[in-house]
Parts: sequence; C-alpha cells; structure tokens
Amino acid sequence: MLTIALPKGRLQKPALERFAAAGIVPDEEPGSSRKLIVPAGVSARFLVLKDGDVPLYVERGAADIGVCGLDQVLESAADLLSPIDFGFGRCRLSLAAPRDSRIARDALADAGELGRSLRIASKYPRLAAQFFARKGVPVDLVKLSGSVELAAVSGLADAIVDLVESGRTLEENGLIVVEDLHQITARLVVNRASYRLKLTTLLPLLDKLEAP
Amino acid sequence: MLLPSTKAPPQGTQDLLFEAARRLRRCEATLAQLFEAAGFGEVIPPSIESADVFGPEAFRALDRSGHLLALRADFTAQVARIAATRLAGVSPLRLYYRGSVVREGAAESGIPRERLQAGCELVGAAGPEADAEILSLATRSLHALGLADTRVSVGTVGYFAALISASKAGERLTRALSDAIDRKDLPTLRGLCEKEVAPGKARDALLLLARPPRSQEDAQSLLQKAAQLAPSADALQAVERLAATLAQAKSLGAELEVDLGEVRGLGYYTGLVFNLYAAGAPRPVGGGGRYDTLLGRFGDPRPAVGFSLELDALVPLAAVC
Repeated sequence: MLTIALPKGRLQKPALERFAAAGIVPDEEPGSSRKLIVPAGVSARFLVLKDGDVPLYVERGAADIGVCGLDQVLESAADLLSPIDFGFGRCRLSLAAPRDSRIARDALADAGELGRSLRIASKYPRLAAQFFARKGVPVDLVKLSGSVELAAVSGLADAIVDLVESGRTLEENGLIVVEDLHQITARLVVNRASYRLKLTTLLPLLDKLEAP
Repeated sequence: MLLPSTKAPPQGTQDLLFEAARRLRRCEATLAQLFEAAGFGEVIPPSIESADVFGPEAFRALDRSGHLLALRADFTAQVARIAATRLAGVSPLRLYYRGSVVREGAAESGIPRERLQAGCELVGAAGPEADAEILSLATRSLHALGLADTRVSVGTVGYFAALISASKAGERLTRALSDAIDRKDLPTLRGLCEKEVAPGKARDALLLLARPPRSQEDAQSLLQKAAQLAPSADALQAVERLAATLAQAKSLGAELEVDLGEVRGLGYYTGLVFNLYAAGAPRPVGGGGRYDTLLGRFGDPRPAVGFSLELDALVPLAAVC
C-alpha cells in the first residue's frame, strides 16, 4: 500500500492530473466529501491535508510520498528526498514593501539608517530569517498565518516575505517586490525509508510522474 | 526545595519503565551476544568528555575549573580516543559499545536529544574484507533482532570527494551539490552543474550520484559508468574499492543496495558509508562507514570502520525482544 499526501488548494488539481496520468486515480474526488483518506484502487490511497503539513507527514512516514511547493519543503527543513520538480504551481517567494517606502526605493542598502531592526511579517519565518541573516540585516520577525500583505499596509511591519504569483494582490495593496528569495514550483517529496523499502513500486511510478 | 517547573522530562528525552526497559535490555543482550560471538569486546567510555572530542552538536558545559566538557555525542569518537591511546598499536581491534548519546538537534523534527545506541568498531584493518565484515555484522544485527524487511544502502564518500576536488568546487557549491545529491534532487543538481561546474567528466559523474539505488546484480553497470567517468586516480580508486567491498559482501544478497548518492554522514567518513533501513521506521535505523583519519587526531593514525544502531527505533520493531 502506497500512501500519498495530497495538498488541498491550488496544487491539488494539477497533482491529481499527474497521478492520473501515472495510473493512480482516487475512487472519489478528494474534497467532494468530508473524507480525509481517499482510496485509489487497492494499492494506493490519498491523505488530503494542508500543503504546509505535507513535509512532516512524509518525513515521519505517515505518508510515503507527497506533493507540496518548494516553499514548504524549505521552510519545514524536513529531512526528505525531493526527486521530481513538477513544474506547476510556479511562483516566487519575495520580499515586498509599500511602493513609496524607503525599502522599496533603496532595497536593503540603507536598512541600517532606520535606527532599529527591520520589522518583517511572513508565513515563512525560517526562510525570511535565513535571507536577512545572509544579508547581515537585523530583523524583528512576525509570524502570521494569512493576509500577510495587510501587515505592510497597516503598519504592523515595514515589509513582508510572501509568495507572489501574478503580483496583482501586491499591486492592489500598493506593494511592490523588492527582491526574490526563491523560485518556487511543486515538488514530489519521498520518505527516506519508503524510497528504499518500496523501491520496486516507487521507481516505475516516479518515471511516469516525471514524464507528463 | 523549589518545585520543579515542569513535570515532564526535558524535551527530547524519555523515561523507560518496566516492559519498555525490559525490551531494551533484552535487545541489548541479543546484540551483545552477537557482537561477542563475532569476536568484539565491550568498552564503556565515560558519559562526559573533553568537548573537542565531538563536533558542535554536543551538549556542553563548563566544569568548576573552567574546562569545557560535553555529554557523549558520539561513541565512535570516544572509541577512537580509547583505541588511539590505551590500545595504541594493537591491531586489529574489535570493540563494541552500548549506551546513550546526547545531541542538540532540531527538536521539531522529532529526533530525540538523547538516543540509545549500540555499535561496533573495527580498528587497524584497512582492506575491503574489513568493510565487508562490518557490513555483514550490521546486517546480522538486524536479523538477530528479528527484523525481516530490511535494506542496507551502500555508497562511498571517496568518489564524491574526488569529484569535488576535480571540479574545484568551493565550500558553498560543495554544500549545495551534496545537499541536492542527498535529496535525490536531480533537477536542482542538474541546474547547479550546468551553471557552476565546468563541462567534463567530473560534471557528468556528479549527475550520476542522484540516480536511484541499484540491487547488487544491477550495480555492475553503474559502477562501470562511474569508473569510466572518473576524472582522477582518486575517483577511480574509490569506485574500485567499493566494487571490491561488494564482491566480499556478496553473501548479503538482495538486502544490499548500491547508492552512490550516500554522501551524507558524520564528517569523519573517508570511504565506505552505509545506512540501514527497516520496514516500520521512517528514518535509517543505523549506519556506519570507514573513518581512516579520525584516530590520527589522537596521535595514532590507523584505519578504522564501524557502525551504530539506533535502538530507540529498533526496539519497538524487534520481534525477539
């Protein structure tokens, strides 16, 4: 039995299409009922969960493989294999700030002149902290769980680190991208022990998932 | 006396009571019996050491005279110290140990701070037959505990090290390449190679390292390819050594897999490196490798090879205990 962690939201549909092309089709549409485990024939099943939880489920072996954005793979720092870049779910993890702010004008060049730590809001505290540590810019990080743009507009933070897809949400709220931290796409993640112990099942599946 | 601020043991540690304690002791006894029968003798190093014996992962404290001490973070370094000092010059040495190690790790990843281990070290033996002896003993320990569905994933850090030195990769690039290989992340590895590694044999060989593991029979073609792409004598030697070890370890059969992407491990490995997997455990249940330079740090440069088992993961899976 192969257990697959499937993310709810924007990655679900393209992920299911790739699994269908590889011959794994859920018995019912995930999300059509309240079922959290959806069988796919006799040899596989899908766990339906938030994409941020996918790395943990796979790292700890509750699922053998899973689909999630590179943002979640990196933020979780989970100890996983990530053999396939699906190419869909393309976006960027970016630093964004109000259009007329000092950060937007001079990037981080004179962050020192603020006279205090830069206040940054993000759903990605680990990746944000890494980025500013590399730049040598002291920051005061605020971890939020949604509507991160609001933090920069309302004065909670000087700037935000968040996913940018089309850039429309930023634009409508008067924010612009200052710098990109990472290019993001959806990845297949695999548990380290499952990869070895279920290799004969997994290898043909990985080949099919890779070639759409 | 002050009231304790918490009623639980420190995060990442546990109390073992009654049946759990009995199971652990039975597993330890089974392993000790196997190790003794294989000619290994037990050593019990102290639970604190001078901090410089271990890496930065050790839990440290100053004693009253200002010496920086560390809780045992790794048995192998301690056994190397013993072998290089009190047992200097006695070769070969077959030593085993059991007990706990304490490491400050990422707590949220669920790896406990204090881990129970047992393991063996073979000191003063440099040949492929020594590598095979350790591989075989590690595999037999899993069988002795009654585990049926297991894998031994075998590679060499020598080949990767030779490719890095041939491609003149700096520290940052080396870390990025090693991370991509360790994650079997071929797309990222390909991107790094195309952008930052000069075209040539070393680059093609690096791309070989993210390939899936091969069974022992299928490994021949992979090793031949790796030998053809070897950019230096060191690289070729690493592949030939791995092939010789595999030939010696033939009796291990289907459980053994060759994975040239086994590049991770404690910093001191110099050749053979392997990980043990068992159905029911989400992480490796043990691992080991060759560390030919570690004893030199204590003034007695001798080759050595060994392995350790993660008893916290193995005891719940063990059938005999």
